[in-house]
Amino acid sequence: MLELFAATLITLGTVFFIAGTVGLLRFPDIYCRLHALTKADGLGLALVALGVALLAATPGAALRIALIWFFIAVSSATCGHLIARHARLAEGGRHD
Amino acid sequence: MRATPPLRLNASARVNPAPRGDTQDRPTSSHAPGQGVPALRAPAPAGRRETVLRAALSILVLAMIWGGLTGWRIDALIFGIPAILLAASLPFLLSRGASWRLSPRGALVFALWFAVQSVKGAVDVALRAFSPRMPLDPGFRSYELSLPEGAPRVMFINTITLLPGTLSADIIGDRVIIHMLDKRSDLDTALADLDARIRALFALAPNKEFHQ
Repeated sequence: MLELFAATLITLGTVFFIAGTVGLLRFPDIYCRLHALTKADGLGLALVALGVALLAATPGAALRIALIWFFIAVSSATCGHLIARHARLAEGGRHD
Repeated sequence: MRATPPLRLNASARVNPAPRGDTQDRPTSSHAPGQGVPALRAPAPAGRRETVLRAALSILVLAMIWGGLTGWRIDALIFGIPAILLAASLPFLLSRGASWRLSPRGALVFALWFAVQSVKGAVDVALRAFSPRMPLDPGFRSYELSLPEGAPRVMFINTITLLPGTLSADIIGDRVIIHMLDKRSDLDTALADLDARIRALFALAPNKEFHQ
C-alpha cells in the first residue's frame, strides 16, 4: 500500500518534471522558461523526494532527502532570480 | 507531508548578511537600537543572553543535521564537532545585519500556505506548458518593498518566484521587478497578502513604513 502511494507520488513528480521541460522548450523567452523551471520542477522534485522518503527505510535517509529538497528549493528560487537579473542586464536593464 | 521545519530556515537564512550600515565586524552584542531594527518585543537589550541562546540554537540545529547526515556515528564527530562549531560561529564572524526572530505559529501557517501556493504555481505553469494554445501574456511589473532589509526581504523575494505566475527578476533600490506570465492578473493584492504573511512569520508589526 505504501509502495503504491510512493509510486504514485514519484509518477506525479515525473509529470511535473516533464511539464517543466515542455515549458522550457515551448515558452517564448528566457523569463517564461524560468517560470517553468523554478515552479514545475520544484514541485516535481518535492513529489519525487516525498515518494522516495516514504520508501526509505531509515529516518536518517528521510532526513537527508528532506535536506536535499530544502537546499535545492532555496537555491532554485535564488538562481532563477539571478538568471533573470542577468538577462535584464544583458538587455540593457529596461525599466517597465 | 512536506515538512518545512522553521528551524532550518532559521539556520540558513542567517547566512545572508544584510547589507546594513555596519561595515566592520561588530562582535555579538548591542544590536544598535534605534537603527530601524524592527524588533517587536523590547529592542534587544539583553544582548548577552540572546547571543548565547542563538548560538545554542544554531549548534543544536547543525548537530541534528550532522547527525542525520552521518547516521549518528560517534566517530564521525571528529569532523563533526569542528564543522558544527565553525558553522555556528559564521553569523558572528560575518557582520550582523538587522536581528530578526521567527514566530513559531507564523512559521507553521506560512509553511502550510507556502506548500499550497507552490502546488498552485506549479499546476498553473504546467497547464500553460501543456496547453496547445499556450495562454501567455508575459510582461514586467514592479512592486515597492516595504519589508525591512535582511531576512524578511530575502524571504519575500524568494517566495515571489514560487507563487503562481510571478518571478522576481530584479531589485532596483526599494523596488522589486517582477516578471509575470499574465501581466493582467492581480499582482498588488497577491503581494500585499504575501507581505502580511511574511510579517506574521517574522513577528513584525503590520504594514507600516519601517525604512527611512
